[in-house]
Amino acid sequence: MRTQVNAVEVCGLRKSYGQVHAVRDVGFTVGYGEIVALLGPNGAGKTTTLEILEGFRTRDGGTAEVLSYDPGERSSARELRERTGLVLQDIAVEPYLTVRETIARAAGYYRAPRGVAEVIGLVGLTGLERRKVRSLSGGQKRRLDLALGLIGNPALLYLDEPTTGFDPAARRDAWQLVRELRTDGMTILLTTHDMEEAQALADRVVLLSEGVVVAAGEPAALGGRDAERARISFRLPAGYTAADLPVPSHSANGMAVVETDAPTQALHQLTDWAIGRGHVLAGLTVERPSLEDVYLELTREGAPAPAPERNTR
Amino acid sequence: MTTAVAASRRSGSPAGPPPAKRTSLRLLAHQVRYEQLSFWRNPQSAVFTFIFPVVFVVIMGALFGGVGKSSYFGGLSALQYYVPTIAALSVLGSCYGQLAVALAARRQAGVLKRIRATPLPAWTYFAGLLAHCVLVSVIDIALIVGVGRLYGVPFPSHWLAIMLTLVLGAASFCALGVAVASVIANAEAAPAVAQLVLFPLMFISGTYLPIQSALLNRIAGWLPVRPFNEALTGPFARHAGADWRDLAVLAAWGMVGAVVAVRRFRWDPRPE
Repeated sequence: MRTQVNAVEVCGLRKSYGQVHAVRDVGFTVGYGEIVALLGPNGAGKTTTLEILEGFRTRDGGTAEVLSYDPGERSSARELRERTGLVLQDIAVEPYLTVRETIARAAGYYRAPRGVAEVIGLVGLTGLERRKVRSLSGGQKRRLDLALGLIGNPALLYLDEPTTGFDPAARRDAWQLVRELRTDGMTILLTTHDMEEAQALADRVVLLSEGVVVAAGEPAALGGRDAERARISFRLPAGYTAADLPVPSHSANGMAVVETDAPTQALHQLTDWAIGRGHVLAGLTVERPSLEDVYLELTREGAPAPAPERNTR
Repeated sequence: MTTAVAASRRSGSPAGPPPAKRTSLRLLAHQVRYEQLSFWRNPQSAVFTFIFPVVFVVIMGALFGGVGKSSYFGGLSALQYYVPTIAALSVLGSCYGQLAVALAARRQAGVLKRIRATPLPAWTYFAGLLAHCVLVSVIDIALIVGVGRLYGVPFPSHWLAIMLTLVLGAASFCALGVAVASVIANAEAAPAVAQLVLFPLMFISGTYLPIQSALLNRIAGWLPVRPFNEALTGPFARHAGADWRDLAVLAAWGMVGAVVAVRRFRWDPRPE
């Protein structure tokens, strides 16, 4: 065991199920105290990658290190499980135990767990301690699942689509909790389909498609979208055409569209022009490609994969 | 909330891990306690586990209560024959049948995967299940002996031999139950597969009727159920001690089950 700066280091990871190459070449890092989101469509290899890191699956090739341990190494598996927590997609709890009993049982498995009452408070199940698990709502069960991921006081937490099926308020609460956990020093690796979630939570995102990393970086800069041209659009004042505007533009359905590398100047010229003539720029918006636009573009079938494909086996 | 998180992290750091052996035993006790809690909280599993064997003895008592010692029952009275075989049946049901079904269902539901993600060692998990099965078997046997007494079957005299046979049988059938759960792919098929194996085996092993064919008895003698029946019938009804040959066959089957279980057991609902 050696100390290193990254909580997770993955390089050239490969895994096939028979003829299906679920993971072909995946490499990324997660720094201590970072929140990293694995993004990608169904079948992109997110869950398989996560399961290899969690020690549930063996890898066919490549290297993986989690908290300086090899997740495929059996002799250190227990030590690794002491320090990692995970929240799975499926709710898997005994229906006849109470909330407190379920969490207390899991607490007993760890060397140095968090307090049961404290974790119940953290996930917002206070007042439901004596309720049987079977009588909880779906959202409450997900919170119980989160409590089970946190009870061991892990250094690294895996969240597999943590807020799927949450209502908007519950989702905000969950995000807030994840941010607080990170503030406290926890490292978090999550998978999600939800671009808003990735944008709201992740320090960095890793975008997978067909078992390969197609893009990685800060959500604001993924796929170079921060360097893309901005689109300024507004309704043309009556009696004017696109040719009357002080910057190059085109119009469609009465909307003028300006694509520019220098939106600050263009906006200044446009507003100056409008105010000088006593008009408003109705419906004014300034947009860059959204994370979702980049995601759809990069995971489109047949999109060029930047990482070289390798022969598995 | 943030301050609460930080505070617990500081106070949560251990003064130093306690000696390994004590921790293992405490962990086992913890696991047994919560297995018991889950079991007794589920009214269905608790009731059916204990009602079925009792009803079976009551029916057999009503049918054959007056049948005295006969060569058909190997020189025993009918109830002297049925009390130990139904005791064996109840052990089979809880250790082999229910365990295989419960494990397949827990795997399908993701409960096993969740357990596997914690530091709980696999052996502690299985030891907790075995302890549960032994406890249930002891209660079952006590109930069956109690009902048998109402029909005039005397209490058995060799309790030590019965306990030895019971623990060995429970362990062997648990191992076979885990082995079957390892081989079955999905939870829906588990009850059918478990019964498909068990029912004919119990029939040819004399659980329901004494078998009069020497050939069939010889074949069944090498399979796990008949040796268990015989090993219980001796100390129950014949004032005999432990039958070492039967116990050896039973232990050998337990080893086979354990090897299959260790090699094939999966925690994850999805195949590798």
